[in-house]
Amino acid sequence: MLQNTPLKVALVGNPNTGKTSLFNQLTGLKQKVGNYPGITVDKKQGSCKITDSQSAIISDLPGTYSINPTSLDETLVLETLLDTENKDFPDAVIVVAEIENLKRNLLLFSQIKELSIPTVLVINMADQLKRKGISIDIDALEKELKTTIILISARKKQGIDALKAELLNYKNWDTTPLLNIADKIDACFFKQVKEDFKDVPLYKAWLLITQQEYCSFLSDDMHKRIDEIKNSCDAIKKFQHKETIYRYQRINEILKTTYKVDKSKATDTRSRLDAILTHRVFGYAIFAGILFLIFQSIFDWASLPMDLIDQFFAELSSFAKTNMTPGVFTNLIAEGIIPGIGGVVIFIPQIAILFLFIATLEETGYMSRVVFLMDKIMRRFGMSGKSVIPLISGTACSIPAIMAARNISGWKERLITILVTPFTTCSARIPVYAIIISLIIPDEKVLGIFNLQGLALFALYAIGFAAAIVSAMLLNRILKIKQRSFFIIEMPNYKIPSIKNLVITVIEKTKAFVFGAGKIILALSIILWFLASSGPAAYDNAETTINQQSESAQLSDDELAHKIASYKLENSYIGIMGKTIEPVIKPLGYDWKIGIALISSFAAREVFVGTLATIYSVGDDGEDTATIKERMRAEVHPETGEKIFNFASGMSLMMYYVFAMQCIGTLAIVKRETNSWKWPILQVVGMGILAYITAMITFMILS
Amino acid sequence: MQETLTYIALGLALGFLVKKYFFKEKNKGNCDKDCGC
Repeated sequence: MLQNTPLKVALVGNPNTGKTSLFNQLTGLKQKVGNYPGITVDKKQGSCKITDSQSAIISDLPGTYSINPTSLDETLVLETLLDTENKDFPDAVIVVAEIENLKRNLLLFSQIKELSIPTVLVINMADQLKRKGISIDIDALEKELKTTIILISARKKQGIDALKAELLNYKNWDTTPLLNIADKIDACFFKQVKEDFKDVPLYKAWLLITQQEYCSFLSDDMHKRIDEIKNSCDAIKKFQHKETIYRYQRINEILKTTYKVDKSKATDTRSRLDAILTHRVFGYAIFAGILFLIFQSIFDWASLPMDLIDQFFAELSSFAKTNMTPGVFTNLIAEGIIPGIGGVVIFIPQIAILFLFIATLEETGYMSRVVFLMDKIMRRFGMSGKSVIPLISGTACSIPAIMAARNISGWKERLITILVTPFTTCSARIPVYAIIISLIIPDEKVLGIFNLQGLALFALYAIGFAAAIVSAMLLNRILKIKQRSFFIIEMPNYKIPSIKNLVITVIEKTKAFVFGAGKIILALSIILWFLASSGPAAYDNAETTINQQSESAQLSDDELAHKIASYKLENSYIGIMGKTIEPVIKPLGYDWKIGIALISSFAAREVFVGTLATIYSVGDDGEDTATIKERMRAEVHPETGEKIFNFASGMSLMMYYVFAMQCIGTLAIVKRETNSWKWPILQVVGMGILAYITAMITFMILS
Repeated sequence: MQETLTYIALGLALGFLVKKYFFKEKNKGNCDKDCGC
């Protein structure tokens, strides 16, 4: 029988759509099929018999989310579809989608459709439509997408024959582009493209311009023409964003009428779990419950190891003082370095527990549900569903969290997210909160089960999150930037977390916390100790001055030593600096020592505790083995005799840290992400004023 | 001797903070993180 020339068919799709399974069904080749994105890292080819006289060469291209490549394997898709001179240029393209992520899958389809290559849309996993409560109006969808749609189940071998039969008909497939992007993006620019690239279809020309560096097949003349048009327009990146947004808007419109998900009809385990975890009432209640559990555990589980670490550093300091040669360097180690470092290491148990919970939520797949759940709320406040990722990541550190805002496409939503993320309680605030809570909130049970200190920490997180939301709402009204964006998220399957992954994540994150801030704290501890242990003439003459002043008073040796130590600290360099700023912070209930800790914690918030530990070690003449907590608890006002860390000043201090932008690193990253000093300056001033006023009101009400 | 060691430690600490906040190191490429470099 006469054999026709084999058809060249390219198999394209997002990762995890079952593309490789379909390839196996069509070609019969044995190939590994995995559940990880990017398993197909190279183009694979196989022969498929369609009829006795017609066969096809099927190319399984690497999984990609769009034709705009971000990696080498994705470049292969772009080159295959654009290089018409290549021997493998396809006669037809099969775009593989799957029922659950159709919206995201259609972005790639819509781009390929613009290239006017005969294209068919295959929707995989069709056998699970009913179980997942999904219904698709295929006729309407075919009409809207201007394409033929074939439902298949690659695993159950359903629909494969229909697809093969359709391949024979590829010359009659509709090759009309799906969207007219030129007018929607910038008619003037695309008119120019049309004129400069008369020999190339418009969308292909647009892809060549935007993806030039990935197209190895371009001639020198083509490169020159592309460079010319690129040099004449500096808004190409902006146009790319506009294209993606427009495509998703159109896809949303199409799916609104053709694709329905009724979760109440879904019967699979994942859908049942999703129905509960993303429920409009239970979903939020469960999320709040989980957060509540985390904060309870942070206090309950961490208290014993924290006490042990605190005691260890107190003993170490005492050991250094007793066993090392007496002198100024020994003092530096015993009173400066050891208490300063101890002020960070003590919080390792709490930080590790927090990261363990966050990593577990991410590993199980629950975090994606939270993002989905919060999208509805976020939109009301001018943010995107994707803003939840920075806001949740912000519980670890604002710096990577602000960088994570890069995947928010709308500039206004992104800017608002960047500006409000530092309100989220980061791990650096935990040392400050933990030490103050332990000083002013009793370690009691409420209703017999809830730890009061854990409740206080939960409340601080809630206030921080509320501050972020309210600020976002205000910024949404104030900022006059018009922009629309889209929200798309893939819900991963639920899985039991890998212990190995959890352990690695916790170790890595805790290490980053300790060593990131640790070096700064060590350096600051040395400087602070020096400033607290030296001073001008009044400092050097402290003993003579106090002895003269106390001649008439009958003071014991201990009382005299205490007076000399206090006088020295007040007249040291750090004392002079602290006294200078004291009038500003006095309305908040703080003394000059807390003022010094506030200033030094601009480097990093967790420096606050280390600074106080250093200052109190230098000024303290009491027990050498006193822990940081004991030293802070014992601190009294020299004039009034009242405790420095009482309920009013403690609450005021925590309110200050809830709202203040106390982090140089975050400022630097905001400057870089917004490419302007305007936003970080506004942020630091705005948050600073809010923190100051809130702390002052808190102190006035409670004192 | 103790004083010398103290001043060395102080110098190192100051040097470290000045370098960290005033003379930022530039990335030397091969950066695989999404850090904008």
